Amino acid sequence: MLKRSAAMVLALIIVFSGLGMALALEADGNSRKGKYLFRKSCRGCHAEGQQAKDMSPVDMTQAQWKQLFSDYKKLPCYDKWGNVPEKDVKDIYSYLYGHAKDSPSPAKCK
Amino acid sequence: MTSSLDQKISRRGFFKLTGAATAAAALGGSDSALKPGAAQAGTRLKPGFESKYTVCDMCFNKCSAIARVVDGKVQKLDPNPKFLKSRGMLCAKGNAGVRQQYDPDRLKYPLLRVGARGEGKWKRLGWDEALDLAAEKMKAIGEKYTRCGFMFMAGADMQSTFIHRFAKAYGSYNTLSHESQCLIAGTRAFLDTFGEVPIPDMLYAKYCLMMGANRFEALVTPDSIDMMTAMKQGMKLVVMDPRYTKTAAKAHEYYPIKPHSDMAVMLAIAHVLIKEGLYDREFVAEKTYGLEQLAKHVEPYTPEWAATESEVPAEVIVKIARELGAAKPAAMIYPGRRSSNYRDSTQVRRAFAIVNALLGNWDRPGGLTAARMVGLGGGVPLEEPFYENNPADRVDAGRATLMFPEEGSFKLARDAVLEANPYPVKGFFCYHSNPMQTVANRAKTARMFDQMEFVMVMDVAMSDTAWMADLVLPSQYYLERLDPCSAQQGSSACACVVMRDPVVKPMFEAKPVFWVMRQLANRLELGEHFNFSVEEFRNAQLKDLPGALEALQKDGVYYNPSKLYGVYEGRIYKTKSQKIELFNQRYADMGLDPMPVYRKPAQPEADQFRLVVGRNAVVTQSSSTSNSLLMEFQPTNHLWINPAAAKGLGIEDGDWVKVASPAGKQWIQAKVTDMTRPDTVYMETGFGVLSPQLAAHGRGACIAQVLVDDFDQISGNMAMHETFVTVSKEAA
Amino acid sequence: MANQKLAMVIDAPTCLDCKGCLAACKVANNVPDGKWRNWIKGADPERRASSPVVFQPGNCMQCDKPTCVEACPTGATYKNQADGTVVINRTLCIGCGQCLAACPYGARFKNTDLGVADKCDFCAERRKFGLEPACVSTCPTKSRKFGDLNDANSEVAKLLKANRAVRVANEQTRTDPNIYYLGEPGPTNWTVQARMPEAFDFWRRLADPVVKAVVGLSGLGVLAMLGKQLAMPKDAPPADGGAHEEAGHE
Repeated sequence: MLKRSAAMVLALIIVFSGLGMALALEADGNSRKGKYLFRKSCRGCHAEGQQAKDMSPVDMTQAQWKQLFSDYKKLPCYDKWGNVPEKDVKDIYSYLYGHAKDSPSPAKCK
Repeated sequence: MTSSLDQKISRRGFFKLTGAATAAAALGGSDSALKPGAAQAGTRLKPGFESKYTVCDMCFNKCSAIARVVDGKVQKLDPNPKFLKSRGMLCAKGNAGVRQQYDPDRLKYPLLRVGARGEGKWKRLGWDEALDLAAEKMKAIGEKYTRCGFMFMAGADMQSTFIHRFAKAYGSYNTLSHESQCLIAGTRAFLDTFGEVPIPDMLYAKYCLMMGANRFEALVTPDSIDMMTAMKQGMKLVVMDPRYTKTAAKAHEYYPIKPHSDMAVMLAIAHVLIKEGLYDREFVAEKTYGLEQLAKHVEPYTPEWAATESEVPAEVIVKIARELGAAKPAAMIYPGRRSSNYRDSTQVRRAFAIVNALLGNWDRPGGLTAARMVGLGGGVPLEEPFYENNPADRVDAGRATLMFPEEGSFKLARDAVLEANPYPVKGFFCYHSNPMQTVANRAKTARMFDQMEFVMVMDVAMSDTAWMADLVLPSQYYLERLDPCSAQQGSSACACVVMRDPVVKPMFEAKPVFWVMRQLANRLELGEHFNFSVEEFRNAQLKDLPGALEALQKDGVYYNPSKLYGVYEGRIYKTKSQKIELFNQRYADMGLDPMPVYRKPAQPEADQFRLVVGRNAVVTQSSSTSNSLLMEFQPTNHLWINPAAAKGLGIEDGDWVKVASPAGKQWIQAKVTDMTRPDTVYMETGFGVLSPQLAAHGRGACIAQVLVDDFDQISGNMAMHETFVTVSKEAA
Repeated sequence: MANQKLAMVIDAPTCLDCKGCLAACKVANNVPDGKWRNWIKGADPERRASSPVVFQPGNCMQCDKPTCVEACPTGATYKNQADGTVVINRTLCIGCGQCLAACPYGARFKNTDLGVADKCDFCAERRKFGLEPACVSTCPTKSRKFGDLNDANSEVAKLLKANRAVRVANEQTRTDPNIYYLGEPGPTNWTVQARMPEAFDFWRRLADPVVKAVVGLSGLGVLAMLGKQLAMPKDAPPADGGAHEEAGHE
């Protein structure tokens, strides 16, 4: 399940990597708030039994999260994000990046 | 208060805590209900006795056991022969669990402190009163100091997950466990080498070098048992330890290594493995990162050099390296568990990890195996709220380079609280853990409690930490509890799940901590986060494991027959290079040594000794030393001192001596023995108990009182063996 | 049911001296504080020159020539012919302590709670309920094996057949013990010469047949058992498997 969703995301990265105008988000947001916002903003769709694939920080490496967020406005689901302010995106990114599977403290569970 | 902690505690009653009599009265003294059933001596079982599965709680191993119950009383605990992780055994401590259940020292009802902190004057409260008070304090402290102003600590218990859950719901990032007293340096080191923490496949090893571990005394399942089986099958065991432990006694070879020189020996072994081409070339080329840098790095670390540091002869180091090379990949440097030793313990254990990587033993029989799939879920999901006014992070954040966000560091959190930097922490809840006994520098822990506005402790007995509390809550003993499931890893033995159902009815007014958390959540308008029963939580944990509940009920254990070896085939390693990192790239980025660098450690002055601490098969830590059965094996602790050193100080076997460090002093009887090096003295943990409500009170000396609280610079683990003490024959 | 010859076969080199067997025994048998029905010899080693060190678990050896039975003035201590264990009838025991001195292994103690002699009986109570002796089931490394030597298919019989085993005994007091040690047994210098009572000897011989008959009838309550006891030679040779020798001392 996780492997498949990770593969999907990877495929997306490959598709989008050519287009990216690197926004170069810094992972210095509030990771704890990011965890909360990730749940509020993303898990509505990205969860088991929901419309999008289940998702957790440990699905990808730090490099992959970085790549994915380098041009997050081009993500296929961006139109569904609504009004997520950039500050919140930064917090979410800090959480995902900070707890990626190759991070010093990978997320233990979702 | 704090200065008096130094005082001698002995049977002669030097230590007078005022109000002890008051406390004894409040606690009710002896109780006939505490006498085990079937009082006729020599008879325990009766026709029709019941056999019920349970999970032992005398240490962290969680061995499945069978309780023999007669007329609602536990008569005997037997091992569960179907439980492969323990190899169907129950140790002395496990057997002594019966005595803990019926211990006359058990707490019976909530107690409120009415005298000075640590004075021992208590008032009995009803549960409602106690919970109202606790909720009110939690609310007030949260409002005044933010939610992070309340700190939570939970020991290795099957219900500890509910304390962490409560802390998250309440909004505090400040959670602590026993781990920063114990194993996080080793965890850090292996995580930063292999991307995960390995489980040694001891049963199939052909060669094991054990340093910084005492596996035949400090029992870890299945390692302790499998190590003996492996030896019977021909495995060679080499032990290096400054102390002649029973593990050393059972080893094929033993070397009394100089403390804090393990890294030197390990780097020299790497030196020989590389120089003589004894490492697993194919494995290293394919799966590791940084051989070239490592080869260059270990070039100057010759066996001759290591011999001068470690006092292990150079030819022995060469021989061991060659034997390891010949036995690879079924050869291992035992990763160990407790690594709360030195300022550079993460780097010391990194050196262990690197040699293992060179042996190519990862993910292979007789080597270090990856975690197996168990499939146990996380239970009822938590919708963790976010409190806008909270500070950005934990109170100890940033005090060590690579800390674990859930565990933190008790030592560094305590420093931060005492400095009120970056913010004040004024509330503390401790469950099933006893920092007053186990954390180095007890005087500081006492000061931390002194500055708290509210300290609540829940335990089965009046521990030294409970003794310092404002509110003490009586916990059910494990034989009375319904607990969530727990996943266990045992390499070739198992990947399994255990759970705990009540074996007997709870005694007195004791409650499970889940119930307390739920009650408090309801009072704090956090009820939605605890809107389930333990059974419901358990069912949620087991939702992806069809048949597991039935197996647990039938056999006391559920096994997942998941893959054991070759788990990493086609999988990347969870490190920056996505390979096993001999050279750690992240360390390099952060300005840490990317490979372990040996820096000549400080050594005790001529009139000093290095103090090392440990335990044996009849002592867990302070939770077991008041057990009436285990006390027969070990009624007190002693200071082990080498005869040559003792002679110089005029100390004879059995003499009372003063052990003093910058942290504090204790009086203890000397055991003059050549089982420790002349530069090293040793004490067991768990004695020198402050609380007069425990049978162990007045026996031996407390490690926490004399250990200096240094810390591992990377993980924040306590570094206990950086303590130098003076020893003198001196009356209290 | 054929008579059993219950025995222990112990693999001493695998013992860790963890005290599991001592704790299990104490709980299973309500052994009073400060007393033990079993032991591990060679525990708490001073630094040894040779390694690995061997710890030696043990307990009452349920001897075939039990000096304690000889020493007992009342017949309270007797050899149970049904299973080979040496048993104490608590109602007949007068707590005189003669049997304590008569045991070369120090296996007996005075149970201060009950005022009678006490010792290991291979967990007779647990066996009655189909459970193994507590020390055997609890042992982490399974150093202790237990079973019936008269049953050729039992683990203990097979072990003795396939391996060299020794018994720990005292040179001056041969008792034909039923504890066998596989391989290196560990310390063997701890046994003592049995001290047999002198004063009671005359009276004991006089009273012996009478009391024994009473035990046979009341203690076991089975007439057939008495018959067997009388019919069987007292010094029945041990069921012999592999090569056994005695590691004696003094």
